[in-house]
Amino acid sequence: MSSPRGGHRFWTGRRREVLAGYLFVAPQLIGSLVFVLLPLGLVFWYSLHEWNVLAGTFEFTGLDNYDALLNDPALPGVLAATGVFSVGLVVFNLSLALWLALMLNRRLAGTTFFRTVFFSPVVVSLVAWTIVWRFLLQENGGVNGLLDLVGMTGPNWLRGEGTAMLSVIVVQVFKNVGLNMVLFLAALQGVPRELYEAATVDGAGRWRRFRSITVPMISPTILLTSIITVVGSLQVFAQIDVLTSGGPGTSTTVLVYYLYQQAFQFHHFGYGATLSVLLFAIVFVLTFVQWQLRKKWVFHEQ
Amino acid sequence: MRPSMSTPLAAATLAGLLTLTACGGSGSGGDPDGPVSLRVAVWTANDAHLALFDEIADAYIAEHPRVEKITFDPLPFDGYTTALTTQIAGGNAPDLAWIFESSAPDFVSSGALVPLDEVLTETEGYAFDDLLPATTELWSEDGRLFAYPFSTSPFAVFANLDLLAEAGVPTPAEMRGAGEWTWEEVISAASTVAGETGASGMVIRDFDYTGWDYLATLWTGWDARAWDESSVCGFDRPEMVEAMGFLHEAVFEHGALPGPGTSADFFAGEAAYTVTQISRASLLEEAGFAWDLLPLPAGPAGEYAVIGQAGLGVLRVGDHPDIAADFLAHFTAPENSAELAQYFPPPRASQLTAETLASSNPLLTEEQLRETVVAGTVSGVVKPSHLGQEQIAQTVRAQLDALWRPDADVPAVLGDVCGAVQPLLDR
Amino acid sequence: MSSEVATRRPRNPRGTPAGGRRPRGDSARGRLAVYGVLALLSVPFLFPTWWMVTSSLKPAGEIFAFPPSLLPDSPRLDAYQRVFEVQPFAAQYLNSMYIALVVTLGTLAVSSLAGYAFARIRFPGQNALFLVVLVGLLIPSEVTIVPLFQMFNEWGMIDTHWPLILVPILGAPSVLATLIMRQFFIAIPHELEEAGRLDGLGRFALYWRIAMPLARPALGAVAIFTFLHSWNLYLEPIVFLSTPENFTLPQALTHFVDAYGGPMWDVQLAAASMTALPVLVFFIAMQRQFVEGLAHTGLKG
Repeated sequence: MSSPRGGHRFWTGRRREVLAGYLFVAPQLIGSLVFVLLPLGLVFWYSLHEWNVLAGTFEFTGLDNYDALLNDPALPGVLAATGVFSVGLVVFNLSLALWLALMLNRRLAGTTFFRTVFFSPVVVSLVAWTIVWRFLLQENGGVNGLLDLVGMTGPNWLRGEGTAMLSVIVVQVFKNVGLNMVLFLAALQGVPRELYEAATVDGAGRWRRFRSITVPMISPTILLTSIITVVGSLQVFAQIDVLTSGGPGTSTTVLVYYLYQQAFQFHHFGYGATLSVLLFAIVFVLTFVQWQLRKKWVFHEQ
Repeated sequence: MRPSMSTPLAAATLAGLLTLTACGGSGSGGDPDGPVSLRVAVWTANDAHLALFDEIADAYIAEHPRVEKITFDPLPFDGYTTALTTQIAGGNAPDLAWIFESSAPDFVSSGALVPLDEVLTETEGYAFDDLLPATTELWSEDGRLFAYPFSTSPFAVFANLDLLAEAGVPTPAEMRGAGEWTWEEVISAASTVAGETGASGMVIRDFDYTGWDYLATLWTGWDARAWDESSVCGFDRPEMVEAMGFLHEAVFEHGALPGPGTSADFFAGEAAYTVTQISRASLLEEAGFAWDLLPLPAGPAGEYAVIGQAGLGVLRVGDHPDIAADFLAHFTAPENSAELAQYFPPPRASQLTAETLASSNPLLTEEQLRETVVAGTVSGVVKPSHLGQEQIAQTVRAQLDALWRPDADVPAVLGDVCGAVQPLLDR
Repeated sequence: MSSEVATRRPRNPRGTPAGGRRPRGDSARGRLAVYGVLALLSVPFLFPTWWMVTSSLKPAGEIFAFPPSLLPDSPRLDAYQRVFEVQPFAAQYLNSMYIALVVTLGTLAVSSLAGYAFARIRFPGQNALFLVVLVGLLIPSEVTIVPLFQMFNEWGMIDTHWPLILVPILGAPSVLATLIMRQFFIAIPHELEEAGRLDGLGRFALYWRIAMPLARPALGAVAIFTFLHSWNLYLEPIVFLSTPENFTLPQALTHFVDAYGGPMWDVQLAAASMTALPVLVFFIAMQRQFVEGLAHTGLKG
């Protein structure tokens, strides 16, 4: 940066200020243009083409890919799997995170230990975590071994249509629930004690206090964690690839996994780009809806 | 907030589009007489294999001063084809590459490979006619050869004699002698081993309830096929229904094969039999058990053989396809082919004799080699492959998942397979 | 900042918890029940790591003993040695490490600069530019993976680490970091900067000497997020990289197979342990700063 006291007349304080502003945001802005907006535009462009890697051809095919999208027999199943995964993950993750935060907020001795335990998978490498669960969820694996100890016979988790999806969701929840838990815990700390004391004096029970004080007071955090978790749930890839490869059948083939298969395994890059457009549309609509809902149920905004 | 921003933004995006969509290989050949280095993509990372390759390459470099360096670049076996095509797409293609038999149709008919027959026939002492037609068929189109079938490895059965003895089951040799080396009898023996020893019975290696093309090693015994020459799906044919019904029963009623989601490794001593390629014999060097190698058991349709293949091709997009093809001719010439035979069964009629093979395969006896390799290579059926293989493979896999549960309706599932895969075969 | 996490805040004199969830006279039995539930719930969080480490010390055959044994019969380190023979694991470790560090430092620089400017400098077009940047929040990198692949292809950067470095630092993943930094810088009192201005400091000096030292908690949180994000990347490496020497750890972990595609379970688990444990140990040592840093993100609403 230039010396603090300006040399040139032209560089008045205001001009220097404006220049500093542009220079400061330049890396981020140029990055956004090159690595976000340009590829986003290209996704639309490529979705109008067919690109054959092996033959080295790149042809304009108009709306053919969109036509294929509407007639793709696999797509309804893929969208259903995506929906089930996202809803399951968000509901299970947020309720467990909130419940854990409430438990740890009771301030019993040893809560630091439990906080560390529940948070620790967040820092474990995602693929390592998932590989271990793939072993544990085999029919003769550790989970069924533990169930066996208490006299139960577990199912073949990753090979059953329902249990495979359940497994992917649960493995992902255990991996990341600690993050939301910590955010909730911080939010709970911010709730003024006086509110609870006043409510208790008025004879409000535990559930009533939770519903009328806790939930409204931490609603901004609930909104934020739900947005992050929903968008994150649409990005799940490594877990599917390692645990089920989209199976059994196509019961765990979510949109991002299908996109990867089409573009990078089947080499239908044009169709892959078309699926990207669909994914973008879904993320856009979901975020918009959540943002609108905010006005309805978020209690206060900072 | 300010809509005015969107206009220049769109313009910038469009400008980017225009500069970037001028897609295509930037293959600048470089100096026509300058030094050349070649890269060969392979999926083996085995030190012995690579040392042998390097030795053959060094001899070539010594004779061709223009060629500075030849590197054998191991890509991971898992996802090999995806990695290879990604390199091709990324303009980082190797000069030569191993190709799985399953992607042979995709590579051969896309025009990605350089035709080899002229170079090979013109190379002195190459003896092109020595190549067995059964081995080159998959790699040829319109009378031209696009890849050299450098490894033609039949599927065979390895048996763990210790486990068989422990379960009181006759040895495979005894069963063969009694004319009982059939799938029926082998599955019944496998079921006995599973029941008596706690180990697994039969493992069809690499199948693992996803790699269904390996089941060709079983259903060919029923004369079943995944699809025929005119791309008509064969999964719903009576032969296939019978073969798959047999397998289903073997898994879910007799417990002769470990079920889906259960792991058992024959080479770690965890199973009585395994069906796999004979090149895996090298995994038995340190085996802690007695073993034997036999041809595939007979099916209701009689005796049969199935082979897996790997091709070696020259990529058109490389910088020096002509030199790469010349190196391929050297690499696979008779004397080098004989060297390679210790790991990769050769496609040459003159070298496909039990004596030649035995001299370089210390782990296997002449008899084992004659019955599995020699006979298998000449008469074997190649594992199924088709244009658009990856998508077909995934589609069939997804449909077949419904079969791998105890209460599956075998004919109905196989009908669904054809319903889903026929449109892809028709493309 | 009212965002300290539960266990650190001293109890208030009356012993009423801040959250008020514990009614007067919380019984010993109630407390015991809470402990019981928490202990039971800990199993799925602890057991996988335990199983991973102990199984990596077992021979392949013992890994699938049923029911699983808690400790190896005769622990051995063979698998750890073979990790380095099967793959260039040391190089892969180094790749992951240096990429994550470069990405973390780069993101801190880019996002703190942009966050600072958006929060504290007034310049024309500011709001519009901020909106342009925010679009990145809406676009998971999975959406743009196909064109990004083709762009890097065009630039000759396939099978190099550039895509794994440039996109996270400059592209969509850093936008969240910029947002966090902006929220933090907005809260800095004006008086602090005014004092610096009177001392003759320019914008960069104000940012570097006054704002940045104050922003340590937010920088810490961004660093943690970014490091973990880069360390865990999986789709991007498998799309962009194809040579084992260039692999990153998550990608390498799924490639522990023998020359014929046969699985090497014990070796894979040894590699997974080596990938997971250092970060885990670091976290446990630093867990207070870690968790509190996250709570400081200003994301708590």
